[in-house]
Amino acid sequence: MTAIAGQPRERRALLEAAGISKRFAGLQAVGGSEGLSFDVFAGEFVGLIGPNGAGKSTTFDLLSGVLRSDSGAVTFDGRDVTEADPHMHARYGIGRTFQTPRSFESMTVLQNVVAGATNPGERLGAAFGRKWRGGERSATDAAKRILTRVGLADRASAPVSDLSGGELRMLEVARQLIRKPTLLLLDEPTAGVHPGLQDRLAALLRDIHREGMTLLVVEHNLHFLLALADHILVLAEGELIAQGTPADIRVDPVVVSAYLGSDSAA
Amino acid sequence: MNWPQLLVTVVTLGGIFGVVTLALNLQYARGGMINFGIVAYFAIGAYVYAIVTQRGPIGLDQYRFGFDWPWWSGLILAGIAALLFAALTGWPTLRLRGEYLALTTFAFAEVLHSLLLNERRIGNGTVGLANVDRPFSDWGPIEEKYVFAAAAALLLVLTLLAFRRLLSSPYGRALDAIRDDETAALAVGKAAERLRREVFLISAIPVGVAGAVYAMYTTLAQPSLFTAEITFFVWIALVLGGERSLYGVVLGTLGLVLFEEVVRAWPFETVRSAQIAASAEHVLTGLVFIAVLRYQPFQRTVSRLRVAP
Amino acid sequence: MLLLQFFVTGVVTGCFLILATIGFSLTRRVEGFLNIAHAELLGVSAFTTWWLNAELGVHVIVAAVVAIAFTALVGLLIARVIYDPIRARGPAVLLITSTGVAFVLGGVIDGLIGTGIRTLQIGLAHRYEVFGIRITSHQLLMVVLAAATSVSLAVFLNRTRTGLAIRAMSANPSLAASRGVNLSATSRATWLLSSSLAGIAGVMLAVVATLTTDLAFAQILQILAVAILAGLGSLYAVIVSGLLVGIAMDVSAFWIPAGYRPLVAFAVVIVVLVFRPAGLAGTRAA
Repeated sequence: MTAIAGQPRERRALLEAAGISKRFAGLQAVGGSEGLSFDVFAGEFVGLIGPNGAGKSTTFDLLSGVLRSDSGAVTFDGRDVTEADPHMHARYGIGRTFQTPRSFESMTVLQNVVAGATNPGERLGAAFGRKWRGGERSATDAAKRILTRVGLADRASAPVSDLSGGELRMLEVARQLIRKPTLLLLDEPTAGVHPGLQDRLAALLRDIHREGMTLLVVEHNLHFLLALADHILVLAEGELIAQGTPADIRVDPVVVSAYLGSDSAA
Repeated sequence: MNWPQLLVTVVTLGGIFGVVTLALNLQYARGGMINFGIVAYFAIGAYVYAIVTQRGPIGLDQYRFGFDWPWWSGLILAGIAALLFAALTGWPTLRLRGEYLALTTFAFAEVLHSLLLNERRIGNGTVGLANVDRPFSDWGPIEEKYVFAAAAALLLVLTLLAFRRLLSSPYGRALDAIRDDETAALAVGKAAERLRREVFLISAIPVGVAGAVYAMYTTLAQPSLFTAEITFFVWIALVLGGERSLYGVVLGTLGLVLFEEVVRAWPFETVRSAQIAASAEHVLTGLVFIAVLRYQPFQRTVSRLRVAP
Repeated sequence: MLLLQFFVTGVVTGCFLILATIGFSLTRRVEGFLNIAHAELLGVSAFTTWWLNAELGVHVIVAAVVAIAFTALVGLLIARVIYDPIRARGPAVLLITSTGVAFVLGGVIDGLIGTGIRTLQIGLAHRYEVFGIRITSHQLLMVVLAAATSVSLAVFLNRTRTGLAIRAMSANPSLAASRGVNLSATSRATWLLSSSLAGIAGVMLAVVATLTTDLAFAQILQILAVAILAGLGSLYAVIVSGLLVGIAMDVSAFWIPAGYRPLVAFAVVIVVLVFRPAGLAGTRAA
């Protein structure tokens, strides 16, 4: 990390990626010779940017356990999660959304959010009993509140196939919010979302951040991201080429040449 | 044609095979697992029941074990044995998905079949175990065949209720989530592998018990009763019934059993015509199967029903 | 010496398995699913040969050629009418549908032919003995045919336009289409090819075995064993794995009863799937 500009941040590191990397069929997707290393501090709103193919989504897959890193380690909340299964990442408090929104298509919008919560009735022994019903009621109430918050309350009983692309993204966020993750990884939250909904999304992210959730967001819409984030990580060809505040990044010559390019007006 | 007798047979066999179809439905439609060797768990139940309840070997018997325990212990042990066999076969296979799982389960069933056929010390080889204990033969006024029909129907209803309870719980919703989108389900903490393994194991229990009831009914545990044809039969019933609804699955099985029994009970003049009818039954079953898979008539109704509430 | 005899018989069995499996693997590779009905095509060919030869008195070679051509057409017809319309539903539905097709074909054969044991009107096999190892002319024919078929298939796939199109389509259909490969014509060629391979295997089955109508179903078990061992969809590995399964089944008869042959085949399969899920030739990506 010696060559990278930016001032150190003084807080507890919630997520620590130390030398992680991933190769696919001989192609290095993430991490150069020394692997990729960065920290996300508790309560931060961190943006992860970089050109197409920079390894942003692969990095998310490594942080959420969907892929195993070839090297290095990921520490979350003081716990080594490098080898943990993806569902355990979710249980430890790392939530994530996907570049193409995913949903449970056999369920309604409300059921999709309720399914986000972990209910004790998901254990075989408990499923035949009745004790899960209390948890189910509170999860349904919570799901309704969250749907109101993301603006999908009137779609609660619709099948997910009725939702627009933007609404599907909101639903995916809602399904994570019910879990109250400590760290939420959002993969291109504005892609395919029309401008009106984008404003609502920005307000929502600002709110949940203010309430204490740590956010790590991959986003192509720099205008959107730079207005919200406290800290930006810049990735190119799988390596961290710069990091700093949005103000620093806007003027960083390395970033401008490697990434912003002709787009530097952003 | 003797319709009351036919009805009793359909209820009995429909009940027994309905249980197997329900288990397959749980594995395939909910768990996304293609089990092409379901007959093995059924056969295990039948053999374990026979071995537990029969007397020790006498005369020409080549089998080694016979415990002469009561029928209910046979039923319980049949379920447990099927569960254990599922654990044994599930361990190497559940890592595999899709067609590989289909092939390994198929292979396991063939290995078991070949073992039962050749290893005379288990169950007399090809001859099989005859004289399987029929516990209801001295139930006084009620004729035995009605007791059997009732027992099979009861087993079916119990399995149906248990599965429905499981599937309407958060457990069932987690299964649906995994089936719909496993990656998304993992991202909300659903333990996909554990759930799949559990479904594979618990669905084997009623199949084993059904196998035991089948052995009681036929009074026979013989390799030729437990071939891959049973597996295909149950798959066809599953597809017929529309794979996403438990009731549809039961109806599909009853319909298919009825169809087969009508063909079987038809009074044919010659052996040749009976044989042609048996072939025609195969052809028709196959055609219906293909047509149902292609047009999915029940699927559509079911998915409409699911979205409605 | 007896062991060596079993070994030789195993090689012959293996050669039959190669013939029976290679078309199945070709379908899996190009069309992307396991066609359980492939084994019934062996039955179609075997009984067509038998009917022409034993019932109508046609010379066995003519009967064989007609049977192979007929089987190829049946295979193509089934693909057009049944598999193509549901292609979009994915390999699982196609696999399950193909068991339905197997039912129909099996039922038709059963209904038309009836029960009983049948043999072709051909002379008894000539028996040769080399260093005490016996081999019949029919068995030699099997070996020669398997070798010839494998070689000509390899030449076909590597040298001819259609063969190269089949390979391109199996590797990457959309890329192949963009490079001017006619996908539906290539698919047609694949079905004709794989079904006529089933036809050849069926003829050999009629030559070496006594025919009963449930014979075809018994073949699918062994075909699956060989195909899994080879790694689904790989062609050259079928040659090695066919021989391995054949030899394993026959040589095992040296120590354990012959009734265990299918058990041996599937025990091999289970071991392979547990330790090497993608088969002998496979990469993990498969």
